[in-house]
Amino acid sequence: MLQITITQQAHVTVAAVSGSLDALTADQLAAAFSEQFRQGRTHIVADFAGVEYTSSAGVRVLLGTLKEARQKGGDLRLAGARDTVRRVLDFSGFTSIIKSYPDVASAAASFPG
Amino acid sequence: MTAPPQKRLGIVVGAGSVKCAAAIGLFRVLQREGIRPDVVVGCSAGCFYATILALGWDAKRAAELTAGLWTREVTSKPDRLSMLRLLFPRLFGFNERFGLKSDHLIMQRLHEAYGDRTFADTIIPLFLTATDFATGEQVVLHEGRLIDAMRASIAIPFAFRPWEINGRLLIDGFLSDPLPIGVAIREGADIILAMGFESPHQTRITSGTRFAFQLSSIMTNNLLRASFAFHGTAHHDEIIPIIPEFKERIRVFDTAKIPYIIEEGERAMEAQMPYIRRLLGIGPGNSR
Repeated sequence: MLQITITQQAHVTVAAVSGSLDALTADQLAAAFSEQFRQGRTHIVADFAGVEYTSSAGVRVLLGTLKEARQKGGDLRLAGARDTVRRVLDFSGFTSIIKSYPDVASAAASFPG
Repeated sequence: MTAPPQKRLGIVVGAGSVKCAAAIGLFRVLQREGIRPDVVVGCSAGCFYATILALGWDAKRAAELTAGLWTREVTSKPDRLSMLRLLFPRLFGFNERFGLKSDHLIMQRLHEAYGDRTFADTIIPLFLTATDFATGEQVVLHEGRLIDAMRASIAIPFAFRPWEINGRLLIDGFLSDPLPIGVAIREGADIILAMGFESPHQTRITSGTRFAFQLSSIMTNNLLRASFAFHGTAHHDEIIPIIPEFKERIRVFDTAKIPYIIEEGERAMEAQMPYIRRLLGIGPGNSR
């Protein structure tokens, strides 16, 4: 089960995600990000403080979102990932290409005003 | 309306010397849950365990067998001819069949454990990987005597000389891919449980051997991550990393720690079971 709450902080979109990001839920997150792009929002923070687990399917959604955001002139940045999730992201090489922050405030502040 | 086809389950046990015994913990959980994989892949010391699973041996037998297989003694006897070739290459004719340690004991132990069984004796399709010494290509072994494939896959550079199979000189599988998930993908697995291990870094460099180990760890870990990243993004379904967390430092021949290693493997597998059950559609009271 995955919960996604979208909020807006100035020009930055924050997607607070909680639950397990896996093959059974990844499409849900992909759809939420697609909707943001459809609305022209490309500065996105994925708040992962509530994500307990991510698998290769979850990493694929993050990767696709990251590429699309950058193609559109924006970015996807990660905030608050737990150690267990960070381990999978590290192991997948994903942390070498995504900007990652300890919390939402610092991730949101990292986007140019 | 027809039911969707059952997902094919693949198990991959990567390189990791004695840490690979954690795979026994993974098997324990599979057996308890009544889950039988469709394909098994092993690399380097992971071959010992992948083979056990594919032969259908139980976790208890696997633990007993392992305790006596991979001990410090297997590398204690030098290969004198290789040493002479190293010191006097022209005089003794240095060539690619080089390894500083005798492989007599490990071959003897492999034979005691697995006999002359072949890939045809496995009850689950088994694929073991090695590396072609001439080209660096990954070589997937799927026929012939099991212990020949295992010996090729554990041909640790500098320690054991390469092993010839079908005219190809093969070295340790970790050199081409320490966690060969690609083989499971190619063989049709949808859901892949990948048990992999990072090589430990040396805390102090006090000898040439430790220096070489450190270089090997750096290269292997980077290869492991790069390969995992590629397969994770390329695969059509799910790859679930089963990565035991060892609080204690595990050295190459820490066989006394095998019970602890198995427990951590079991714990890592248990942590993924709720998700694996949902993926495989396993409910209370039914198995696969």
